[in-house]
Amino acid sequence: MLLIHCPYCEATLPELEFTYAGEAHIARPADPSTMSDEQWRDFLFIRTNARGPHFERWRHAHGCGRFFNAVRDTVSDKFLLTYKAGEPKPESLPE
Amino acid sequence: MTTPMTTASAVSLSLLPEFPRYSLRIDPADVSAASEVLGLELPTRPGQRAATGSRLALCLGPDEWVLYTDEADAQAVEAAFAALYPVTPHSLIAISDRERTITLSGPQAAELLSTSCPRDLTAIAPGTGTRTVFDTVQIVLLRDSESDFRIEVGRSFLPHVWALLERANRELAAGL
Amino acid sequence: MSAFRIPGKGRVCHDKPVRFTFDGKQYQGLEADTLASALLANGVHLVGRSFKYHRPRGIVSAGSEEPNALVGVSRGGGREEPNTRATLQEVYEGLTAISQNRWPCLHFDAGATADVLHRFLPAGFYYKTFMWPKRFWDRLYEPLIRRAAGLGVPPSEPDADHYASRYAHCDVLVVGAGPAGTAAALTAGRSGAQVILADEQAEIGGALLADDKVQIEDQTAADWLSAAQAELAALPNVRLLARTTAIGYYHQNMVGLAQRITDHLASPPADAPRERMWRVRAAQVVLAQGAIERPLVFHGNDRPGVMLAGAAQIYLNRYGVKPGKTVVVVTSHDSAWHTAFDLADAGTPIAAIIDTRPAIDPALTEAAAPRGIEALLSHTVTATSGRLRLRSIHVNAVTDGKVGGARLILCDTLLMSGGWTPSLHLFSHTQGKLAWDEASQSFLPDLKTEACHIAGGGRGLWGIENALQDGAKVGAEAAMAAGFNATAPALTTQNDRSGAGIIIAELPTDRGPQSTRSFVDLQNDVTSKDIRLAVHEGMHSIEHVKRYTTSGMATDQGKLANMNGLAIAAAAIGKPPPQVGLTTFRPPYTPTTFGTFAGYHQDDTFDITRKTPIDPWAADNGAVFEPVSLWRRAWYFPKPGEDMHAAVARECRATRNAVGIFDASTLGKIEVVGPDAVEFLNRLYTNPWTKLAPGRCRYGLLLGEDGYILDDGVIGRLSEDRFHVTTTTGGAARVLNMMEDYLQTEWPDLRVWLTSVTEQWATIALNGPNARKLLEPLVEGQDLSDEAFPHMSLADCTVAGFPARLFRVSFTGEMGFEVNVPARHGLALWQRLLGEGEAHDICPYGTETMHVLRAEKGFIVVGQDTDGTVTPGDANLGWAIGKRKPDFVGKRSLARPDLVDPNRKQLVGLLTDDPKVVLEEGAQLVDDPNRPIPMQMIGHVTSSYWSEALGRSIALALVEGGRMRMGETLYLPMASITHTAKVSRTVFYDPDGQRLSM
Repeated sequence: MLLIHCPYCEATLPELEFTYAGEAHIARPADPSTMSDEQWRDFLFIRTNARGPHFERWRHAHGCGRFFNAVRDTVSDKFLLTYKAGEPKPESLPE
Repeated sequence: MTTPMTTASAVSLSLLPEFPRYSLRIDPADVSAASEVLGLELPTRPGQRAATGSRLALCLGPDEWVLYTDEADAQAVEAAFAALYPVTPHSLIAISDRERTITLSGPQAAELLSTSCPRDLTAIAPGTGTRTVFDTVQIVLLRDSESDFRIEVGRSFLPHVWALLERANRELAAGL
Repeated sequence: MSAFRIPGKGRVCHDKPVRFTFDGKQYQGLEADTLASALLANGVHLVGRSFKYHRPRGIVSAGSEEPNALVGVSRGGGREEPNTRATLQEVYEGLTAISQNRWPCLHFDAGATADVLHRFLPAGFYYKTFMWPKRFWDRLYEPLIRRAAGLGVPPSEPDADHYASRYAHCDVLVVGAGPAGTAAALTAGRSGAQVILADEQAEIGGALLADDKVQIEDQTAADWLSAAQAELAALPNVRLLARTTAIGYYHQNMVGLAQRITDHLASPPADAPRERMWRVRAAQVVLAQGAIERPLVFHGNDRPGVMLAGAAQIYLNRYGVKPGKTVVVVTSHDSAWHTAFDLADAGTPIAAIIDTRPAIDPALTEAAAPRGIEALLSHTVTATSGRLRLRSIHVNAVTDGKVGGARLILCDTLLMSGGWTPSLHLFSHTQGKLAWDEASQSFLPDLKTEACHIAGGGRGLWGIENALQDGAKVGAEAAMAAGFNATAPALTTQNDRSGAGIIIAELPTDRGPQSTRSFVDLQNDVTSKDIRLAVHEGMHSIEHVKRYTTSGMATDQGKLANMNGLAIAAAAIGKPPPQVGLTTFRPPYTPTTFGTFAGYHQDDTFDITRKTPIDPWAADNGAVFEPVSLWRRAWYFPKPGEDMHAAVARECRATRNAVGIFDASTLGKIEVVGPDAVEFLNRLYTNPWTKLAPGRCRYGLLLGEDGYILDDGVIGRLSEDRFHVTTTTGGAARVLNMMEDYLQTEWPDLRVWLTSVTEQWATIALNGPNARKLLEPLVEGQDLSDEAFPHMSLADCTVAGFPARLFRVSFTGEMGFEVNVPARHGLALWQRLLGEGEAHDICPYGTETMHVLRAEKGFIVVGQDTDGTVTPGDANLGWAIGKRKPDFVGKRSLARPDLVDPNRKQLVGLLTDDPKVVLEEGAQLVDDPNRPIPMQMIGHVTSSYWSEALGRSIALALVEGGRMRMGETLYLPMASITHTAKVSRTVFYDPDGQRLSM
């Protein structure tokens, strides 16, 4: 069971309070009707499947209820960083 | 009327009758308006609470609070927020029946909780509260003192949580 | 007092005798004995038969690494456990234990013929032998092998015990309470840190419990330990957990501890759990698990009476038990010499100490001489004899690598030591890296992935003083890392024992390789020959050798076998051990009961069961329940003598003809409030909401962005800014989560807020021609006439005096109402309606009748008639799409080429040619039963019922191009018969909806 830092509660809490919510930084297109079938397919289905740092979303579902972003190393399963929804993708990651 | 627990128990447990309880959701920028209506300063950090008279507010998330009061005050709370809505839209929903409240009292209350709650309970200071889980059931946990807690649990989950607490309480009483 | 018990010696209670039975024979032990020590005190070494060859086996160790002494323990009444380690099971008055894997009895086991045939049972023989003929496998080979191999027999009755769990958080968790762990816990505890000290033994102390020579801080080990135990027990910030095994080390310093609570008690208190799982989250972890002694590998090393030297020292000093009458020691490590000295000093004759090394610390030979012990350096053991107990051994000199002639030495006990393996299982769970240490010829901890510290024997240190000092130092480091001020005490000792040795893969022998049976894995009966054969046959990875020979795959996970197996395999492969590598250790460290993992999840708390406010009435009135997501719902209400079919038919008739009452409280309910509520719903649901007037409601359909149906429900507009959204029972949490997701991350500009009110309201549905007649007199504040309150209306009013949110909706096709009242009033309202309803022939119905009635109307159930690949068009719900809306969730996907394909599977009705045949849900459809197999399937049945209203069966099915097949005959090939059915519309009953206002 992991410990996850909720950027809203500013506390590191048991994984049991959180739910995973897919890859981060994939915004819903403002006007889907203008998207080609290929673009829409990519939005729906194409994900990075990173080996190493992965940008993903979590929700503090059984806590403050907020969705937030996290960077998790898929090799070590360690969280490198969490940050609030809407904040830009960090350019550098902590060691 | 409260429902007493079985006799062989380390921690005194009781089930409180329903009382007025509201879910308040409002834009964090508008919190001061709600505080004014309530007559208490709504805390803005999840886990913190504030009280005045019969009213108690616990911040559950950046835009979410749970409010408690007594029957005599319920209409006043509802009317005040209804009057606020046209100026400052928000959501105030009566959830008096959504959850039931279990009180836990006694020096071993935290230990009893630790049978199914993954939180480090020493990090939940008296006078605070939080949403968390008890055996994966979502609860709101309030700590009123070192040895007094309240569990607010969704009504349909009550039989499960209550049975777990009873079992664990007998276990604590057995002392092994 | 038995001949093998030394009066007054050890930590057992000599004044508290305990009676127990083993294989039906009664013995006497002492309080604080383990079953193993008590049996040894009675001269019993033979305790089991081996897994594969059924060879007689004795007690080898004194801890959880024990491979042989696995017994069945029974308290009766389902309280039975197979494969209990006799070395951990404490005796209590009345303990009943039996040996395993023998027939008819331990002393004469028919299965031992396998031993005679061992030449025909080499490594991998399962893979080689039983290949032909193929059909023999199921009927003959597998049952035979299963009967012949194996350990204990599982209990046949349900477990009568209960189990517990606990979360704990601490600054420093110390695993292992030997000298290193005890010193670490003391040091960290004195700093004020929250400390948990766990040890799998009944008493903390580890090696200190079995060393009566060493002096610590000018006290005996026992006195120092007593003081340490007392201090630890007195520190309020220290929690001592004896009989507690750390079974797994997980991410971010979470360690699972399995605590045995009542297995040592003669009469456990009723409310005490048998075992408890601790999930400990520690800021810092100290691993002080010490080292495990390696056996030596030689011909006949598995005979009862052959034991680890360190175990004998424990039996002697901790339990006051002599292992035998005449003892020989064979070793490649100094430690066994000290065991021999302790035994000699306690009056047990030591016939010889055989050391494989040509030269050793002269102090050892000097200490042996005055005790009259013959020391044989550069010697080996080449054979043992004795059927059920060791009688003699062959000892040979080794000169320049050549094994000389054998000399017979008579002895009933042979103590062996091949040195010590640091116990790094838990460290390995963290994927911490091990590094080969040439000097100690062992793997030691290297790169760490967690905040953990290894102390004492676990990092290759030897001796009590080293362990104490290292433990204190590491304990201080851990406490400081956790933010406390700690200083390590000096902790000096006298009379500490030397400890050095060499690793020897297999003792030199004068026997031919084919006739040598030197056991490496005692529990899985793997010999050195098997390992060499595996390498010879091409298994050059240690992981392959392990799986091919099963070495290290028994319940002890190779605690004794792995290093010897590795050394032998490495020699056969011709590479040094570090290049061959170790197999992976995985949790749990020791076998752990399912009960410990299950914890409280048994009986009434087996799983979360959500109950509605009306559930108590249903339970009292004979409802049969079915699980629906986490809820239990009343499925049907059989009257005496009724089966399910009869009960459902009656409930259906009553609802169609009079009025049915149904508990719909499980429906998800979300209150959506705010100036942008209508915009939010427009974006989320397929339907248009802008023109829905307050007081009216509408069916809502929710898609995923992929265009497939996710959920549905009625949505009512309470006021301009306020909606009451209902969801499916199973979808409630998912839909709320999805709504929050869009609000928080895609449309944070919308001023709208969501609140779950599922459990705020009890929801009672009344359906049937008498519904209004029943309800009308009870309602205040709302006119129920068709004009004032038409189908798809809602209003706040009171019902039977309770504040209510009343909907006029129907999921049955009959006139229907759903009364929502605050949950506390649900049961009272239900009972009131039932009472008032008697005059209107009211009938409670369950979910099965609800399903039948909705299927008669062709209403879908999301998750039953849809499976995550069904679009609104597929489900005939194109009418629910707001075509003029520029966008909603999933809209873009509905234009994808594969979603507009006319040959998609579409929901249609099916009417069987034989009206009495009720199809199986899930049955596959074909358009021509004469096609060659495998037939192409064109769809499947999603819902199928007996329709009481129509007097025939009905079904819904998803069929390729279904709507173009109206009237077509399709086929359903079943195991013994092929059914035929015609494609129909999905609405079977009252297609014009006239009954809604009857």
